Amino acid sequence: MRKALGLSGFLLVLVGLTVGWEVAQTGSTRFATAANLRNLLTYVGLFGILSLGQAFVIITGGIDLSVGSLVCLLGILAAMLMDAGAGWSPWLVLPAMLALAALVGGYHGLLVTKLRIQPFVVTLCGLFLYRGVARLAASDSTQGFGTAYDGLKWFGRGTLYDLVRGEGPMLPGTSWETALDCVPAPFLIMLFLAVLVGAYLHWSPHGRHLFALGANEEGARFSGVRTDSLKVLAYVLCSLLCGAGGLLLAFKSNSLQPTMFGNLYELYAIAGAVLGGCSLRGGSGNVVGIVLGVAIIRILSNMVNILGIPSQVEYIVLGGAILVGVCIDELVGRQARSRARARV
Amino acid sequence: MRTGFALLLAALMLAGCGGEQGGAPAGGDSAAQDAAAPDAAAVGTGKAVDGPVKVAFVANNPSEFWQIAKAGTAQAAEELGCEVEFKIPADGSAQTQQQIVEDLIARGVSGIAISPCAPEHQTEMLNRAAAQVNLITQDSDAPQSDRACYIGTNNYEAGTAAGELLKEVLPEGGEIMLFVGSMDAQNARDRKKGIEEAIEGTDITIIDTRTDRGDRMQAIANVQDGLVANPGLDCLVGLWSYNGPAILNGVRDSGKLGDVSIVCFDEEDETLQGIKDGHIYGTIVQQPYEFGYQSVYLLTDLAKGDTSGVPEDQQIFIPVRTIKQHNVDEFISEMEQLLDQS
Repeated sequence: MRKALGLSGFLLVLVGLTVGWEVAQTGSTRFATAANLRNLLTYVGLFGILSLGQAFVIITGGIDLSVGSLVCLLGILAAMLMDAGAGWSPWLVLPAMLALAALVGGYHGLLVTKLRIQPFVVTLCGLFLYRGVARLAASDSTQGFGTAYDGLKWFGRGTLYDLVRGEGPMLPGTSWETALDCVPAPFLIMLFLAVLVGAYLHWSPHGRHLFALGANEEGARFSGVRTDSLKVLAYVLCSLLCGAGGLLLAFKSNSLQPTMFGNLYELYAIAGAVLGGCSLRGGSGNVVGIVLGVAIIRILSNMVNILGIPSQVEYIVLGGAILVGVCIDELVGRQARSRARARV
Repeated sequence: MRTGFALLLAALMLAGCGGEQGGAPAGGDSAAQDAAAPDAAAVGTGKAVDGPVKVAFVANNPSEFWQIAKAGTAQAAEELGCEVEFKIPADGSAQTQQQIVEDLIARGVSGIAISPCAPEHQTEMLNRAAAQVNLITQDSDAPQSDRACYIGTNNYEAGTAAGELLKEVLPEGGEIMLFVGSMDAQNARDRKKGIEEAIEGTDITIIDTRTDRGDRMQAIANVQDGLVANPGLDCLVGLWSYNGPAILNGVRDSGKLGDVSIVCFDEEDETLQGIKDGHIYGTIVQQPYEFGYQSVYLLTDLAKGDTSGVPEDQQIFIPVRTIKQHNVDEFISEMEQLLDQS
């Protein structure tokens, strides 16, 4: 809870600084507009789903480096199969892609639990393997959904306004319509998934076992937690969410280059989860924090564009801000712990 | 620990194999190596060879662009009765290109046309190759190397052509923004310079240039953010091929189709569709088919000791073409024909 409050504070400071800077420079704000909120929330939704998935594995003390490549593989395969040439039905392809994602997660989990290979190594191999397979399948040529499947693309890039718009104008007119336009479909999907993940992690016995397993695997096992199957499940859920996010990203991008699509997304996913309070040592994490963490990362990236800061600076801002956030969190946490100890 | 390491190695090797398979167009490697022995003698004695000529064309990374170039090399090979090896480095790295070039020389090709990935860092490799076989650069030049000639687009000219389009779109002037993967690349710089020169003296101003590191999702985000940050924006210009579709998507998702104009480069499917639909004003395309076709012709001439095809400044520029709504259908069917051939 403290973490979520801290992150909200960080987020507000960031927004305040950005708007303040804008107003001081130009006398008005472009950052705090409906159009920008819509853009921001779209990307928070798309990348948030990847971070939610990553959180499961990080809580067990593992890591999944294959996220970006898996996003690429599933997007490419879906585009190829649903293409006019192959002409498979999306009703078949999309569930099949999610099943494939779950299968990949299961195989990661089995290698980690049964063969005892480190998660870093298993998923690093995945990072190479899945991208290689994607490139082989597509012979390195760009894939996409073309002008078809507008309904499906809505899930990746549409907003609620599109649902009431009909043949109306592209841009919302009334304030009611503007409000609807600020709720992108991928953001809603991410919120829905976050509620499910939150309920599982924080309110179910399974979730408590997962945290126990991450904090102390031996201890959890001796207290009767079926650590291996729980761990496998964490990898399955991670890849499954990665699959869902990947398909939405594919619908949003609609132009998937096998060598580039999804590149480095595993690191964004990890950064969101870690900034959101997941410890890479395992055993801690909080859904509200993760969503806020992802939001902060997207705001940083958006801010660079809106303020017209040279694009080259983006990574500096990103890396610097995350580092500062994590450091402050560690220091505040230490103080809180020592105060708690002093009270005892 | 040991198992993990072994598995990692296996995966790396698998990834490597997969890459090479993707790059090599046809033919068994071992057969080619067996046949290399007699040709190697020819390489040793000089660059000119008798008998059937064997040349090679090395691309810089996997993309459809090179499939069109491949059709050009195939056409020239058929006309000349020579043999062409077409190679694509799967990871688009200078390292892989070096490997490919070394293999090609070992297999006894008489000449290589290469698009260097990182020209300024490959001089040594290019010079070593140029000492053994006829070496020309295509698509991307390495002027400081010993290459015999360059065949490709003059990107400055391409930029000027885009600038002319901008003047048509914005006769009264206006604000434009440029989008590109990275400004480090020479073609991006040349294109930008060409645009700047062309719009000099008009009321068109470039208010910003945003880069996306080759990430298409970031490219779309840049467009959406650019539209928010600059409500007065009149035209968006995409300097690299994928920036065209990215701009189109970003503008569409911002609900601004029809409010802003789009000018871009190259011929991605979505770009051409956008021109057809009237959402993109025009695109400047290169002619990779000509890169392939003319490279093979020049290398064959050089193999026979005929250097008359090399101009004094050692540069052969293939002109760019401007595609707008009136000629887009014609261009699409032309491309389809070429891709069918390759």
